Amino acid sequence: MAITSIKNLKEFSTNNDRFEGAHTLCPGCAHSMIVRELMNCTDDNLVISANTGCLEVSTAVYPFTSWDTSWIHIGFENAATSVTAAEVMHKVRKKKGTLKDGDAPVKFVAFGGDGSTFDIGFQWLSGAMERGHDFTYICLDNENYANTGGQRSSATPIGATTSTSVAGTHSYGKKEKKKDIVSIMAAHGSPYVAQLAPNKWKMMAKGFQKALETEGPCFINTVSPCCTEWKFDPKDTINITDLAVDSLMFPMYEIIDGHELNILYRPKNILKVEDYLGAQGRYKHLFKPEYKHIIEKIQSDIDEDWARLQRREEARV
Amino acid sequence: MSVEQQDLKLKASENRGKSQLEAGFDLLGWDEVTQGSVLPSFDGDASNVAHQKAEEREYSDYNSYTATVASWRVQKPVFNIDVCIDCQNCWVWCPDSSILSRDKQMLGIDYDHCKGCEVCVEVCPTNPKSLLMFNEYTDLGDALASWPEKKKKEKK
Amino acid sequence: MAVEFEVNEREVWDGNYAASQALRQADVDVVVAYPITPSTPIVENYGSYVGNGYIDGEFIMVESEHAAMSGCIGASAAGGRVSTATSSQGFALMVEVLYQASGMRLPIVLNVVNRALAAPLNVRGDHADMYLGRDSGWLQASAFNAQEAYDLALCAFRIAENHSVRLPMMVHQDGFITSHTAQNVYPLSNEAAKKFVGVIDPVDDMLDFSRPVTYGAQTEEDWHFEHKAKQHKAIMDSVGVIEDVFAEFKELTGREYKRIETYDMEDADVCVIGLGSTVESARVAAKEMRKEGVKAGVVAIRVFRPFPYEEVREALKGCKSIAVTDRSSPGGAMGAFYNEVAAAMMTSKSRPLVTNYIYGLGGRDLSIENIKTIFKEQQANADAGYITTDIQQFTNLRGPKLGFFKTERN
Repeated sequence: MAITSIKNLKEFSTNNDRFEGAHTLCPGCAHSMIVRELMNCTDDNLVISANTGCLEVSTAVYPFTSWDTSWIHIGFENAATSVTAAEVMHKVRKKKGTLKDGDAPVKFVAFGGDGSTFDIGFQWLSGAMERGHDFTYICLDNENYANTGGQRSSATPIGATTSTSVAGTHSYGKKEKKKDIVSIMAAHGSPYVAQLAPNKWKMMAKGFQKALETEGPCFINTVSPCCTEWKFDPKDTINITDLAVDSLMFPMYEIIDGHELNILYRPKNILKVEDYLGAQGRYKHLFKPEYKHIIEKIQSDIDEDWARLQRREEARV
Repeated sequence: MSVEQQDLKLKASENRGKSQLEAGFDLLGWDEVTQGSVLPSFDGDASNVAHQKAEEREYSDYNSYTATVASWRVQKPVFNIDVCIDCQNCWVWCPDSSILSRDKQMLGIDYDHCKGCEVCVEVCPTNPKSLLMFNEYTDLGDALASWPEKKKKEKK
Repeated sequence: MAVEFEVNEREVWDGNYAASQALRQADVDVVVAYPITPSTPIVENYGSYVGNGYIDGEFIMVESEHAAMSGCIGASAAGGRVSTATSSQGFALMVEVLYQASGMRLPIVLNVVNRALAAPLNVRGDHADMYLGRDSGWLQASAFNAQEAYDLALCAFRIAENHSVRLPMMVHQDGFITSHTAQNVYPLSNEAAKKFVGVIDPVDDMLDFSRPVTYGAQTEEDWHFEHKAKQHKAIMDSVGVIEDVFAEFKELTGREYKRIETYDMEDADVCVIGLGSTVESARVAAKEMRKEGVKAGVVAIRVFRPFPYEEVREALKGCKSIAVTDRSSPGGAMGAFYNEVAAAMMTSKSRPLVTNYIYGLGGRDLSIENIKTIFKEQQANADAGYITTDIQQFTNLRGPKLGFFKTERN
């Protein structure tokens, strides 16, 4: 495994991008920040798969590809399956000596949005995790079906308005809490799962490298702020990510072997969730007096979740 | 623009202009499209691309590197090398692989791939900023000439 | 190296076992599968060959048929030889990805053990699943017995992986009747089979890192049509390779395969044209009809896709009345197979009478007597010069007689 230096940004920047420009993701999209970082974390060969979603639909629009590595997209749900079957094929061909270069190091990576990860591809992901393939699955979590126009997914937080959980005079938006995908993946007995954010580039790069280096099925949920559907100015992608992690809406942590939880980032100054919510159009309605209690509920959920994470970290069980 | 910067820009552009993503590739007939709609990213041996700079690679016409999304932009970021401290914040967070960094130095912007999102300007830590947004049609010389002075801390 | 699995010159195998032996001898690299009756033993057996060291490949038991075909696609794009098996509901669950496999031009071999589609639930053989795959861009061959299930599986790898074809291929056999009935099978020696199938030469190999490739690009109205047309052309052009492979196989084994098979057709006035194991019953019925003075013949479709229009037209040109048998619920139309045969005969000079029989749904037997009745009705049509029955009839069905459409040609 040849990991690249992430000692500091100057060192990191000497890597040569293998994710090319002139893809058609929205200006300011965090997806490509995350993908670029993953691909710059290693100089190994990569076989990458993607579920249907913004990333897929914007990076392989015939006759163009933005991928300098092997890449495959089949359907909405099966990136985990296609890349892990390729991983098995690699083992077989290596054994049989039918690879063009059998010694070339290779890593297998699958990308999915939250819709394909939390919802439609959940079974395919779970199956691949259970079978124990050596691969890394990265969820680009923008908390909605952005590619189809911003519908709610089971990753959409309570209170967000989406095109299928519409806030109005009779509704505060999505009613249900976000699914805890990280714990579910940890419960598969995965050797490494984590939740990371692109604003903390080094932490994210470290996590990516750990996942790539760890043998077995690893899972990383990354927060990927979506200017189009969260409704903020594209220039603010990293600023919004700062608010997300500093308000603990997106705590950054890892779970090793299903139980050993480490909190990776403790904000010196924990922000009120209002600061995060107020910066996005999708939560605007919550600031009306009749929905104020939802903000309180979100804050109390965050406080409880943070307390629970800390207890889990302490308990190591 | 420095000489080095201009050289790099030229090299990067050699492959460009063959195709315009929005205008469409030469529309090929059924007998000419690639089998299985599979797209090869490079023409030559690409075993070593991880260690090759963009200008050293043999991109195929199918690689989006050879295409441009410049027309998406209404405003463009302008880079002022005299203020830059080469922190590489803009490089790591550019969503369009458009920051031309070589050997730990920020050299410029790839205007064929930049969509003008302004993230680079936001994350630039210098005072004044080394990257600022200007109208797409502003002359680079004019932009640099109008660069703001260092902001003084406000007295309380 | 794999442990040698000994095969005798003559074996007693059922269709499933025969197919799994073909996978072993073809040295399939990866099988990605999910079990479903009646095809389960094919993949179970492959798994046991892996477990006992008879093969150097890998078996991935996934969590659904959709994942099975998804995995086949990933593994095939990764450059090795790939196969799996399924039936019925499992086939239906695979449909989304069947189109992806063929659109990406991946030479996967899928053994389909034909079974009815629910509701109501049924595990027996009919052709509903085979028909579901008919527009999916796969090549489709039909085996009528265990020997053919074995032979055609070996041929399928050769055909699919040929660089001028590069299309996935299904080998169909009928659930239980073929898949679970032990019959004499004469396999090739391991060595001869290995030599015949050869080694896969990958195209657009995802594991060739000197040439990274992107699979699964998006195409809209400016590109999609051209890609689909190119694929259709490749399916049509696969005929030459199919015939070459069959010829080579005959050379090796003496067993001859053609895209359509004809029995007693030289002077036939009436005929039954069908798919699958029913063909063998129809051949017996035709012989008996000939004793009764009816010049009866049988035509069987060996290669369902690409559909052998010209061969069908040629084989049936001397017939006066033709019974096209469809073993799938037509759902508000003529049987799909009928439509294809009728279209072929519409453009013939002789324009014979063409009738449609829906039969055998959910594994309902079609007896020799049933088929003889069909022949008699064809003879009556031939004598009258028009179709004397409903054009479409359900045969061997309880309840009042069920039929649809009358002819205008009397």
